[in-house]
Amino acid sequence: MTFFALARKNAWRKPLRTVLLMVSIAVAFLIYGLTASFLNGAQGTAGASDDILGVTSAGGRTQPLPMAMMPRIAADPDVAAVGYVTRLRGFVDVEKNVVAISAGDPDRLLAVNGKGLGLTPALVEAIGQARDKVLVGRALAEAQGWRVGERVAVTAFDMARADGGRDWRFEIAGIFEGEDATTDTYFMIARYDYVNAARARGKDTVDAFIVRPHAGVAPGELAVRIDTLFANSATPTRTQSEKQFLEAFLRQYADTGLIVNLVVGAAFVTLLMIVVNTMVFAVRERTFEIGVLKTLGFSRRGIMALILGETLFVFAVGGGLGLVLAKLATLLAGPALGLVLSLPVLAKALAILAALGLATGALPAFNAMRTPIIKAFRTR
Amino acid sequence: MTENIAPYIVLSGVRKAYRIGGEMISIFSGLDLTIPQGDFVAVMGPSGSGKSTLLNMLAGIDSPDSGTLRIGTSRLDQMGEAARAAWRAHNMGIVFQFYNLLPMLSVAENVELPLLLKPLSRKERRLRVDKVLDLVGLAGRAKQYPALMSGGQQQRIGIARAIVSDPGLLLCDEPTGDLDRKSADEVLEMLRFLNRHLQKTIVMVTHDPQAALYARRTLHLDKGDFVEEKRAA
Ligand SMILES: Nc1ncnc2c1ncn2[C@@H]1O[C@H](COP(=O)(O)OP(=O)(O)O)[C@@H](O)[C@H]1O
Ligand SMILES: [Mg+2]
Repeated sequence: MTFFALARKNAWRKPLRTVLLMVSIAVAFLIYGLTASFLNGAQGTAGASDDILGVTSAGGRTQPLPMAMMPRIAADPDVAAVGYVTRLRGFVDVEKNVVAISAGDPDRLLAVNGKGLGLTPALVEAIGQARDKVLVGRALAEAQGWRVGERVAVTAFDMARADGGRDWRFEIAGIFEGEDATTDTYFMIARYDYVNAARARGKDTVDAFIVRPHAGVAPGELAVRIDTLFANSATPTRTQSEKQFLEAFLRQYADTGLIVNLVVGAAFVTLLMIVVNTMVFAVRERTFEIGVLKTLGFSRRGIMALILGETLFVFAVGGGLGLVLAKLATLLAGPALGLVLSLPVLAKALAILAALGLATGALPAFNAMRTPIIKAFRTR
Repeated sequence: MTENIAPYIVLSGVRKAYRIGGEMISIFSGLDLTIPQGDFVAVMGPSGSGKSTLLNMLAGIDSPDSGTLRIGTSRLDQMGEAARAAWRAHNMGIVFQFYNLLPMLSVAENVELPLLLKPLSRKERRLRVDKVLDLVGLAGRAKQYPALMSGGQQQRIGIARAIVSDPGLLLCDEPTGDLDRKSADEVLEMLRFLNRHLQKTIVMVTHDPQAALYARRTLHLDKGDFVEEKRAA
C-alpha cells in the first residue's frame, strides 16, 4: 500500500457516493469541454483571420451588394486582392442535413484567401473545368461521405432558380483542406458565374466582398476608407475583419461567449458546492479515524495530503472521464458543429480540474488537520 | 527489581486540569512517576480518575499544563505538535480498547499503516508486516477484512499495528475491555511475551484485576496520585 492508495481507498469507502460525485464532475467537464471547443473551434472564430476584410451591406448581412462596387474597392492602392461570394443555404436529401455553399470566382478566392481555405492552383483549375463543378471542404466531405467526381443535389432554402426549381446540381471537382484543424471547412465553394446565371432573383449581386490588404497595411484603416467610399451610395457598407465578421455573425443570435461562460460558470459553482459539501461531511464522518491516524504518528501535513489526494483522485477520474467524452464528441460531431478540443483547451481544463480538486479538499482537509486528537476521540 | 534499571519514563510535578462546564477540574496536581525501561505496568483506578489522561500524555496526544514529562531522551512537554507526531511514529505503539482499525483496509494494510511514515521500500514493509502478523498468529489472514473477525483477532491486529515499527514503548488503554475471558488471556499473554522477550516497555490501563496480574507491577490511581500495590512475586 502507498500513501496514495490509502487516499484512494478512503475515496471508495462509499462507492455509490463516490460514483455520483464523479459523474457530476464528469458532466460538468463534458459541458466545459464542449463549450470551450465551440468557442475554440471554427465557429468560435479561432481560425479566422484578422487581416482579411469582409465587406457587407450596412443594412444587414443578407442585403445584397451590386457587383459593380468591386472595381471601386479594387482601385484602393492598399488592396492587394478582392473576391466576392454569394451564399446559398440548402439541404441534401433531408431537411436537417444543412449545407452552405459560397459561390465566388475561384481565381479571386485563391488570391484573397487561398492559404486560409487551403486552395491550390490545382483545385482552382479543377473547378474551372465546367460551370457546375464545386470544391467541397474536408469536414463536409467526410461528414457526407462524398468523393471527388460524385454528383450532388442541394435543395436551396431561399435561392430559387430561374426555371422555378430550387434544386441545384453540382459535380465535385476537389476537396479543400483548410489551413489547419481550426479552419471551418464545413461548406462548399461553387462558381458564381453558374449560380448567378441560373438564379431567379438578385442577378449580379453578391453577399459580401472579401478584401486582402497589402502587407503592412493596417486593416482597420482600410476598412474605414472602404465604408467611407460607399457611405453616400445606395448601398452603404460595413467592413470588418473576418474575425469580427464571424463574431458579429454569432452575436446575431446571442452573445455566445457570454452565455457559454454563464452556463459553465453556473454548472461549476453548483458542482463545487455539492462536492465541497459532500466532502466536508465525508471527512467529518471520519474525524475519529483521523484521530487514530494522528495517534499512529501521521503529521498534520500527512493528513492534509491524504484528504487532498482523495479529492484530487475523485476530480481526476470524474473530470478525466468528462474530457474524454468531450473529446469523443468533438471527434464524432466536431466538424459539423465547428468543435475543436485543442491542446490549450485541454490544458486549461486540466488546470481548472486540479484547482477545483484542491479547493474542494482544502476546507475538509484544513478542518481535519486542525482538530486535536483528544477532541477527535471524544466524537465517538 | 526496578531500582537498578535506568528510568525510562519520568513525570515530575505534572499538573493537568480540564474545564468542565465553566469549572476547572484538576485531574493531576503534581504527579510524580518513574517507569524504568522494560517494565510492564498495569494502571488501575476508578472511572474518571485520570487513567486515560495519563496514557494520552504518555502518547503525546495530550499535554501537561505544567511539570516535566520525559520519555527516553525526549522532553514531550516541550515538543510541538509536529515533533510529537514524528516522535510517536518512531517510538511508541498504541493499543485501543475498541481496536480502532480502518474498515476499508485489509488486515495487512491496517498493520502496514504506521510503516507509511518510514522510509521503507514496499518489499521491506511487506516483510515487516508478515513478520508481526506471524507473531500475533494471523499469518493466514493478511488479505481479510477486520470487520468480519472476532474481537480477539481484531485486538491482535491492533497489537500487530502497534509493534510493526518496532517501538520501545507500548501503551494500551483497556486492551481487553471489550473481550471475553479467553480472548483477553490470549491478548495479555501476547503482551507479556512482547515485554519479556522483545523488551517492550508497556503501560496498560485496565479495569480487570486478572489482567493486572500479567503485569510486573500494578499502580492504583486515586485522587490524582499513585499507590503501588504490593504483591508477592
Ligand atoms: N478532553 C477533555 N476535556 C474535558 N474533560 C476531560 C477531557 N478528558 C478527560 N476529561 C475528564 O477528566 C477526567 C478523567 O478522565 P479520564 O482520564 O478519561 O479517566 P479514566 O480513563 O480514568 O476513566 C474525567 O472526569 C473526564 O470527564
Ligand atoms: Mg479511560
